[in-house]
Amino acid sequence: MTTDELEKLLAQQPIALLHRLARGRVHRHFRAGKRRLIELLLRHSAENRAGFESDLQALIGERKSQRPEPPQLRHQAPLSPRTDHQSRRPHPHHEPDSHEPSVSLAEWLAGIGVPTPQPFVPDPWQDDALDKLETGDVIVSVPTGSGKTYVAVEAARRAMEDNRTVIYTSPLKALSNTKYTEFSRIFGADLVGILTGDRRDNGQAPLLIMTTEILRNLLYDAAGGEIDLRLDTLGLVIMDESQYLADPERGVVWEETIIFCPSQARLLLLSASIGNPHDIADWLTSIRPVPCHLIKHSKRTVPLRAGYLHPDGKLTPLFRTIGIPHGHPGHWHPEAKRLFARYEDETMPSGRRR
Amino acid sequence: MPPSIHPVDLISALRQKHLTPAIVFLTSRRACDEAMQAFDHNEALLPPARQEAIAAVLDDVIAQYPSIAEHPLIPTVQRIGVAAHHAGHLPSWKIAVEELMRHGCLDAVFATTTLAAGVDFPARTVIITQSSIRKARDFTDLTIGEVQQIAGRAGRRGKDLVGFAIVTPSPYIDLAVLTKGFTGHPEAINSQFVITYPMVLNLLKAHPLDQMQSILAKSFAQFQLNQRAEVLERKLDDVHRQMEPYGPRVCTDWISQWHMFDQVRRQRSHRAPAKNHEPPEVAARFRFLTPGRVTGLSKARGVVLRQYRSKGQKSPMVTLLRPGGAITECPAAIVTDVFDRMLECKEAPSYPWCTPESLESLLQDLEDLPTRLPTLPILVSKDDEPIPDAVVQTLGDFSCPTCPSRSACQKDYLNASKLRQEQQRHMKSIQALRTSLWHRFQERIEALQKFGYLTATAQLTEAGEWARLIRIDHSLLITELIRSEAFTGADPSLLAAVMSSIAHDDDRPGLFPRISAGLGSLLGQVRKLAESLAPYEEPPLLRADIAAVTERWIADPQLTWIGLCKMTTMAEGDIYRLLARTLEFLSQLHTLKDTHPALADCASQAMAVLRRGVLEELP
Ligand SMILES: Nc1ncnc2c1ncn2[C@@H]1O[C@H](COP(=O)(O)OP(=O)(O)O)[C@@H](O)[C@H]1O
Repeated sequence: MTTDELEKLLAQQPIALLHRLARGRVHRHFRAGKRRLIELLLRHSAENRAGFESDLQALIGERKSQRPEPPQLRHQAPLSPRTDHQSRRPHPHHEPDSHEPSVSLAEWLAGIGVPTPQPFVPDPWQDDALDKLETGDVIVSVPTGSGKTYVAVEAARRAMEDNRTVIYTSPLKALSNTKYTEFSRIFGADLVGILTGDRRDNGQAPLLIMTTEILRNLLYDAAGGEIDLRLDTLGLVIMDESQYLADPERGVVWEETIIFCPSQARLLLLSASIGNPHDIADWLTSIRPVPCHLIKHSKRTVPLRAGYLHPDGKLTPLFRTIGIPHGHPGHWHPEAKRLFARYEDETMPSGRRR
Repeated sequence: MPPSIHPVDLISALRQKHLTPAIVFLTSRRACDEAMQAFDHNEALLPPARQEAIAAVLDDVIAQYPSIAEHPLIPTVQRIGVAAHHAGHLPSWKIAVEELMRHGCLDAVFATTTLAAGVDFPARTVIITQSSIRKARDFTDLTIGEVQQIAGRAGRRGKDLVGFAIVTPSPYIDLAVLTKGFTGHPEAINSQFVITYPMVLNLLKAHPLDQMQSILAKSFAQFQLNQRAEVLERKLDDVHRQMEPYGPRVCTDWISQWHMFDQVRRQRSHRAPAKNHEPPEVAARFRFLTPGRVTGLSKARGVVLRQYRSKGQKSPMVTLLRPGGAITECPAAIVTDVFDRMLECKEAPSYPWCTPESLESLLQDLEDLPTRLPTLPILVSKDDEPIPDAVVQTLGDFSCPTCPSRSACQKDYLNASKLRQEQQRHMKSIQALRTSLWHRFQERIEALQKFGYLTATAQLTEAGEWARLIRIDHSLLITELIRSEAFTGADPSLLAAVMSSIAHDDDRPGLFPRISAGLGSLLGQVRKLAESLAPYEEPPLLRADIAAVTERWIADPQLTWIGLCKMTTMAEGDIYRLLARTLEFLSQLHTLKDTHPALADCASQAMAVLRRGVLEELP
């Protein structure tokens, strides 16, 4: 595409699409009008023209496939994840009301309480993750609160029983500290150490906790010829909150750590739910000596319900269904819809909203 | 109706419906603090047993972290069972709140969404009050992943049968963003790989240059670029198939041949081109010459005030502001360089085409620009380049007029040439996707060679050998400062203060202690160097006011934490983070003990003084 053609194509797009394209590319793009935004985008495009063009095409493609569905499709069986993906953009104000009755507040609130204590039985996915770690690297992508820590602890225990060193990384120093306390409680203070930029406590322990940056630096030093016993016996690297890979400032450190991770060590990546965990698994498989297995599920262990609380204290369910209607952002509860419309009317200067 | 629910009403509504404990995510630290203040005169006290339970947990935490013994929030926490937890607090306070939540002592915690990832405790209910979040000075809608990360704190496994995520509106909330977040599929994550100077130095220390491409190929960045390239390759295959009927004819490359012939024919028929032909570079550049753009002229620089086309000739024109204040109308062709720099320009409808204040600040900015500015790479479209006269003369040489495939060529030309353009475009894109990382790596190598960290054959020089140990942001500035001996003779407090002004990347205003004259002049020197490095590395904020906080802390070892906090309006947590980051930067200087013993020693003295009081509590 010539710059001319690119400019024309950009000019034909709605401003919302331009803003999406500008995300992560143009600083403060929300302040720019269309003409200025196009100029900024063109300027940016010189950096990686091909990537820019293909992102643009992808957004245009996505937009085409997202034109509101014909109404007869609406009552079909639950959408498969694929179509779910495509119908992601909400049309809350256009989606026609369904005729199913809406859940009442009492039904929605029913069932609050504390479960009766159960003996601890690992979930199948937890066992699966541990088994798969015997034969390769593992990436776990499950909702928050599912029990990733159990996998980390058990995997660490097994590696240590094998006389292997384990390194556990977290993105924040504060999280490292919490884990240090937690792991010391589980394994005993002797077996756990923590490394920060300027300090090491029990730095020769078999289970070491550090931020990802510190591990990356250890790997730099090792590659540069500095001998580090801990890396020689390294059997397992656990990277918590691996979705930080996409952090604009620090994501690169996660990539480096994975690329330079010694080949004899297993990698266990723990991540909150992300859209493309299979890409990460495929990537790891393509660069590491062992295959990477993907453990993922998106069902929450404790069911989640969404509600709306009006400033006057009135509580109502947010959706028509008791649970979250996955794939149907427009299934608002009529009461929530009414109250929120009133809220917008009363608080927004007129004409600010669509 | 109030724009949002009162915190006291919120908590009593939640209690009444058995929806506690809850995490209430608010838009700002201030909102969290105000929510806590709202309980100051609240009479809904906890039963004594619960108050005692809270006191017991707090006692345990205080035993470990004495710094929070006098925390001003303790009375409210204990009486009401609510707490605040945000980045303005000390880590030890946050630990205390987390510990209280873990023991089930609290009914609610007010937290900021910015730190959703740092809030490592669950609750029965999560209250959401916003749909966008401040990122790099801009409000951006929450992504689906972020909404789910926030909502995901609701419902504790083993403690709750169900969890609740409840939205309560505040101004500017967009409920559609949240409903989409609840019901949607999280976004795919993308590589954010960048090539940094320390990365290049450390890689070249460990591996020969000819292995670099294969190492870069292992990145997730390249993996994703390859995925895109594969999509294009499939498209390319498709184009190839469509081009099959347009294979070689009487001439192998009949498309180019016909193109040339056709052009020449046309050019002949109009003796003089009707339209005034502007050179393609000028045309390509013209659209970048918008108000505020810094341009290079043959001798000086200028800022564009407006662009227009001349009346008769319709030729591209610009109005330029030159250093000294002259405003001139010139043809766009006199611009020799288009710089990658825009100045703030408030346009106006008549001469001088911008507001008077704007004119003034433009003039000032123009003077202040660094001597080197990156130019904007501008792609020139080659399609309508005029054909050289020499070719026109030789129309007789074309065999097209008498060729047997003439009519086929004439008929197919448009389609075939369009396909071929598409083919070339895809090939170029694929090429770019496959090689862009390597190009960026080479750019870094060139810069490191220019500054003498790498030899011409990309081996580490003596400077490169130690510079690779500096692995923090702004590494080039730091190593250049060391090489320019900026720190020679500086005492530990100056060194630490400069490091903290390099490390600190927050632009929040506030009140700070005065800086010493020595620090002021040293920072001036640092700023100058940082500006001269701007084409190679983004300069840090280099706030002098922030540096003063660190300077005081190191210069006066008797100063207490409370004393330090009183000198500035900065929040405790921010001071802590500033000093902790400074410690990190200093510890990198300390690694240079073999090559720069005096500097390393100075850094280690600074670290020893810095690490006292609160800074000593946590590893
Ligand atoms: N198989 C299990 N059965 C019952 N409770 C579990 C199981 N696995 C984990 N848990 C509990 O679930 C809670 C959340 O686990 P955690 O590891 O913190 O989640 P996350 O996936 O967010 O890291 C913890 O309290 C943990 O004890």
